[in-house]
Amino acid sequence: MPRVVNGVEQMVEIEVDADAGPGWGPNDKHTLLNHRYTRVDGPLKAAGVARYTYDQRLPGMLYARVLRCPHAHARVTSLDTDAASKIPGVKAIIQAPLTELRFAGAPVAAVSATTPEIAGDALRAIKVQYEVLPHVVHAPAAIRPDAPKVVAEENNLQEKGKNGDQQKAEAAFATADAIVEGEYISQRVHHACLETHGMVVDYRGGDTATIYASTQGTFTIAADAAKELGLTESAVTVSVEHMGGGFGSKFGLGLEGLLACRLSKQTKSPVKLMFTRYDEFVMAGNRSGSWQKLKAGVKKDGTIVALNARQYRLGGLGPGSQAGQPYIYRMGDTYREVYALHTNEDSSIAMRAPGHPQASFAVESLMDELAYKIKMDPVEFRKKNLRDDVYYRQLDRAAKEIGWSRRNPIAGGNAGPLKRGMGCAVGTWGGGGNNQCKVDVTISRDGSVVVAVGTQDLGTGTRTYTRAIVAEELGLGINDVKERIGNSKLGAANPSGGSTTAPSLSPSVKDAAIKARMMMAERVAPLLGNAKPEEIVFAGGKVSAGGQSLSWKQATASLPAAGITSHGEWRADLQARGVHGVCFAEVEVDVETGHVKPIKMVHIQDGGLPLNRLTMESQINGGMIQSLGMALWEGRVMDAQLGMMLNPGFGDYKLPGCLEMPELVPLIDDDDKREAVIGIAEGCIIPAVGALVNAVFNACGVRVRELPVTPDKILMGLSKATQITQI
Amino acid sequence: MTKSREDHNPGRRKFLKGVGIAGAGAAIADHLWTEAEAQEKQGTLSGNVKVTLHVNGSPRDVQVEPRTTLLNALRNHLEPAVTGPKLVCDVGTCGACTVLLDGKPAYSCLVLAVDATNRKITTVEGLGSPESPNAVQAAFVEHDALMCGFCTPGFVTTISAYLKKNPNPTLDEVREACKGNFCRCGTYPRVFEAALAAAKTTAG
Repeated sequence: MPRVVNGVEQMVEIEVDADAGPGWGPNDKHTLLNHRYTRVDGPLKAAGVARYTYDQRLPGMLYARVLRCPHAHARVTSLDTDAASKIPGVKAIIQAPLTELRFAGAPVAAVSATTPEIAGDALRAIKVQYEVLPHVVHAPAAIRPDAPKVVAEENNLQEKGKNGDQQKAEAAFATADAIVEGEYISQRVHHACLETHGMVVDYRGGDTATIYASTQGTFTIAADAAKELGLTESAVTVSVEHMGGGFGSKFGLGLEGLLACRLSKQTKSPVKLMFTRYDEFVMAGNRSGSWQKLKAGVKKDGTIVALNARQYRLGGLGPGSQAGQPYIYRMGDTYREVYALHTNEDSSIAMRAPGHPQASFAVESLMDELAYKIKMDPVEFRKKNLRDDVYYRQLDRAAKEIGWSRRNPIAGGNAGPLKRGMGCAVGTWGGGGNNQCKVDVTISRDGSVVVAVGTQDLGTGTRTYTRAIVAEELGLGINDVKERIGNSKLGAANPSGGSTTAPSLSPSVKDAAIKARMMMAERVAPLLGNAKPEEIVFAGGKVSAGGQSLSWKQATASLPAAGITSHGEWRADLQARGVHGVCFAEVEVDVETGHVKPIKMVHIQDGGLPLNRLTMESQINGGMIQSLGMALWEGRVMDAQLGMMLNPGFGDYKLPGCLEMPELVPLIDDDDKREAVIGIAEGCIIPAVGALVNAVFNACGVRVRELPVTPDKILMGLSKATQITQI
Repeated sequence: MTKSREDHNPGRRKFLKGVGIAGAGAAIADHLWTEAEAQEKQGTLSGNVKVTLHVNGSPRDVQVEPRTTLLNALRNHLEPAVTGPKLVCDVGTCGACTVLLDGKPAYSCLVLAVDATNRKITTVEGLGSPESPNAVQAAFVEHDALMCGFCTPGFVTTISAYLKKNPNPTLDEVREACKGNFCRCGTYPRVFEAALAAAKTTAG
């Protein structure tokens, strides 16, 4: 079956072992999964006693801070730490491992001291002399042939590929009834995890070390940390009990971990290095910006005949990311060129659905413009050009939910200064798993059940469904099972990126649970009239067969003293890939001030078997809310002359807040009957930006092609529209 | 360690005077300023000072530099640490460090520990426990008003105080009450639901 994965249509075939074991069963036959159940770590978090990396405080622990370069491009010519090292309480000062500093905020040195306040004093006392080099931080300036080179001897503009037949596409434009050409620019937004990047490295000079890390990958740290500490990998334990948000930005040892290891090694003391909020903005990554020049031709009947796309990925020092156009649409003869355009800014890094919201925003804006041009309903126009028919039902359901029939088809056509409008958009993601998770389920003679795996819970509910899968399989309540996660000494697990955690982890958990049930069944069979193990039913806290029944505790009393432990491996047949999401938005634009007020958003998302409807809805809400920020408020502001970020704090970088929240409707697409777990976290952040921008156009008739859609851009657009009317 | 006032300018007190404490209002800021000024005149603003903080019903002695914020005193100096209030921005823009000072919410990153000595300090841990949560904490769990949970202590504290002031709020009043708190995962709609549900519980 053809599926659209990461913007590319492809045949996806996964080899499935027919004898792998029982499956999940129909999605409507579960007792816990696909139901609403509360998070198992909720009570700890609500009471403030969940322990995060930032909360670690160890005996003799030192606090570290990082000195950042104030110039966008410079070399350090001298570093004088004399005065700093004399401050009482300062324990170590090290130089960061970079010789040429290519962005403002690049780390220059790190300090450890007995308090974070004293570490701050030391930073202020370090005297650094820089050779300041030319820099460029804005894409239109960086593309000029005479622009300062971000990396010496290299062009700022790097070609990353060409697809399609340019001649054919140009010829196809001649057959179009209407053509839309536009430049779409998406800004660089920040992950803004509330718990900043950081680690506590507990190394006291012995043969072992423990690292408490705010990370999306429990198993992505030990190898590199061991090298820094001069230990073997197995001597380093990584602990991630709870973590305060990652959104793609927290993998590996990172610069923060590297510096913490070196400081800890130098003083043989535990070192806590958590980025400050300023650090977090200037050196902990961001979502790649994009600059997309798109030209499409359409026939009156709604058939798109050609696309010419020039896509620039704006990733600062890094290559950036952007899904290829025409993303999920059929656009006849297409031609695209992709470039990375470098600037003196820290490298963009993965952020929830890397490259997709950018591509979606541009192509959904283009789709909308084409629809208006040929006076076709945007929903019908999308259906005509989408490659995957799953979207048809999603478009219909979400349209009904938001009240699409109320929409005025004339942009800006509603009366009065407060004008409402609606828009829609579509997104896709993979969300498949892979074979990385090893899970143990142990049932003790006293009836306790523990499921153990080293995975991490980013706030996505991993802990909770891990428990629930085992509880459901054994016919127990969710509180009858305990989970142990977040430790590299437990069974291996994949890093949480690309929405792969649920589809990688849950099959292994299910496999371990099934095996534990069968081991139990063989044990208790003699107590149940020698029933066949596979006929023994585990339900409602009882183990039953042939009219006889044992309570759970009676059943487990028959286990050996050490209890039983089953080992679960990944099974491809228990997961799948390919998700679909559709978002509709309604906004109100004040045409006197340019202010946009989001009124309502609806997002419908499929994802095979929903492990937990309550937490899945929360994730869909989160996707919509983060998209609101990208569409309307957020964005890094860079100063061309100074080369530095002007808004590195929550006072100036506008996150979505309580007052701006519209009515949010998260819908789970239950028409998806796949009996398989698929990751949904990224699918549900992709289309909302496009939906909001299109809603703004429908409301006031201004097409804002550069994010975020701030009042100045709307007023500028309105003034142009007025001028045209006056002529 | 001795430092003169000139080379040891805490800076924060000036900021404190300028903007006031969110949630606590300008009157308290002025009061704190006056108090800090009085202490400064007595020459107590250098090196470590011993302060007694009344945290969640217990007096807790701690040695801190006068520039140490209440937040950092709770998290880095109290033994054992009180880490419910989270350090997220450290400049009074996010609300994750919210505690109650004499029952009123305040950003503990904008209050100096030395200025909190005569106040009744309540952190999220003082409002309830996992086994015995208050109505707001219970509602947060029930309505899934948390994901990563890092903003949760701030929201729970803010809303718990607000419901005492206004036991029967509207949705708009709840939004207004917690507008000084940021969440990044996107829990807002469920935070509002939880607050309204907790109001019903406590009213009943």
